[in-house]
Amino acid sequence: MPPYISIGGYSDPPRMSHLSVEVNKGEIVVVTGPPGSGKSNLIKSMAGIRRFIRGSIRILGARAGTLRSRQGVVFVFQNWNFSPDLSVRIQLERKVGLYLGVPARAVRLTVDRWSEDLGLRDSLDFYPSQLNRSDLQLLSLAPLALGRPAVAVLDEPMANLSSVGVSMAMDLVLPVIGNGAVLALAQGRSPLVNRADRVLSLL
Amino acid sequence: MKGCNTYHFRESVSILLRTKWVGPYLLIPPMLAFMVYAEAFLAAHGAGGMAAFGNRMVLAVWNASFLLALVAGIKSCLFFSGCWGSDWFRNSMALPVSRSSGYWGPYLAVLTVSTAVFILTVGAVVAALPGTARFSMTHLIGQAYLPVAWAVSMGAFLGILTTGTGAAVFFSALLLLGFASGLPSISVPEWMLYLIPPLGRLMTRGMEYPQGLYVSIGLAGHAAFFSMLGRILYGAALRRR
Repeated sequence: MPPYISIGGYSDPPRMSHLSVEVNKGEIVVVTGPPGSGKSNLIKSMAGIRRFIRGSIRILGARAGTLRSRQGVVFVFQNWNFSPDLSVRIQLERKVGLYLGVPARAVRLTVDRWSEDLGLRDSLDFYPSQLNRSDLQLLSLAPLALGRPAVAVLDEPMANLSSVGVSMAMDLVLPVIGNGAVLALAQGRSPLVNRADRVLSLL
Repeated sequence: MKGCNTYHFRESVSILLRTKWVGPYLLIPPMLAFMVYAEAFLAAHGAGGMAAFGNRMVLAVWNASFLLALVAGIKSCLFFSGCWGSDWFRNSMALPVSRSSGYWGPYLAVLTVSTAVFILTVGAVVAALPGTARFSMTHLIGQAYLPVAWAVSMGAFLGILTTGTGAAVFFSALLLLGFASGLPSISVPEWMLYLIPPLGRLMTRGMEYPQGLYVSIGLAGHAAFFSMLGRILYGAALRRR
């Protein structure tokens, strides 16, 4: 079986040493590095929204940036990816519906129950600017938890969370490994490092 | 994957239906009423140029077209610039949706909302004012719609090119120049006629055959050219370093 994620000779920014890594089904790989080392560039390159300098990236066998490389793949960005003009509920329902291939209204109950388990059911009807960073970070994991992705790529998913939030987020991230592969980008002290199959460093 | 090509359209419609985006359209009925009465007053006091339009209803339809093109164009510039320039939108391209839908989704959403307001406005004008036997109403309304569609296309192009305010100012100047250049009393250098949209010529000569047809095709071509140019710029901006 080909690797779920395959990165070969990637380098962006240019001063970064070349990164080559393969992530297979059932694996969690963490790439660590200090701020400015290129972690956010890497997730954007993988999502196809940044033109990288050198190397190749393939996700589920498809070249990064193509529609096929994004199907069944959840990217969680550091800044939550919420529009300021719509309620969190509308945005989560549409995103989860998109991954499951069903209309947004069909996942309303699922999203309700999931957020209730996190104690964030009441936050759904607010706009992102009305919520704190920790709640937004947890809620932004809904497509990961409910969308049944084959691959998850996460940029600092625990950065804004309290210790309780970290434990909740870990419970959301780890089940993905049973179904697919996880590549997380984090600073060295992230709790994900302790659960990783491999840890690579960007220097 | 179901809904993958309508995701950005639905997101954009939801945003556009918020008060801050729908609100400006509410300015159109009072502005239109003021223009219609002002023109009736001027015509009654010897402003003979108004007679060229046949009757008050035809003039009111063109006034509606001009006002709606102005509001829709400014709104387009602000909306597209804010939308395509934002981090959340750029990151949303990591979702399993086609890249093209990120451009055409918001574009069609603005066009749909503007078209709905155009239908309501022109419908109210046609219902309220006496008609004319000189022109085909369908022809008139079809031509009056073209500036609205042009405004959205130009808004999309300018919105991706520069900031919302800059785009809106440039758009307003282009719209005024486009309408003014077709008026008989205003002469512009011939070379400029190839650059500016033939909005005024459509208004004054749109009912003549075949000139009206050529002007309509010219304006539709202008709109299509700039919406495609916007799509190319959007593709380049999306994968910027």
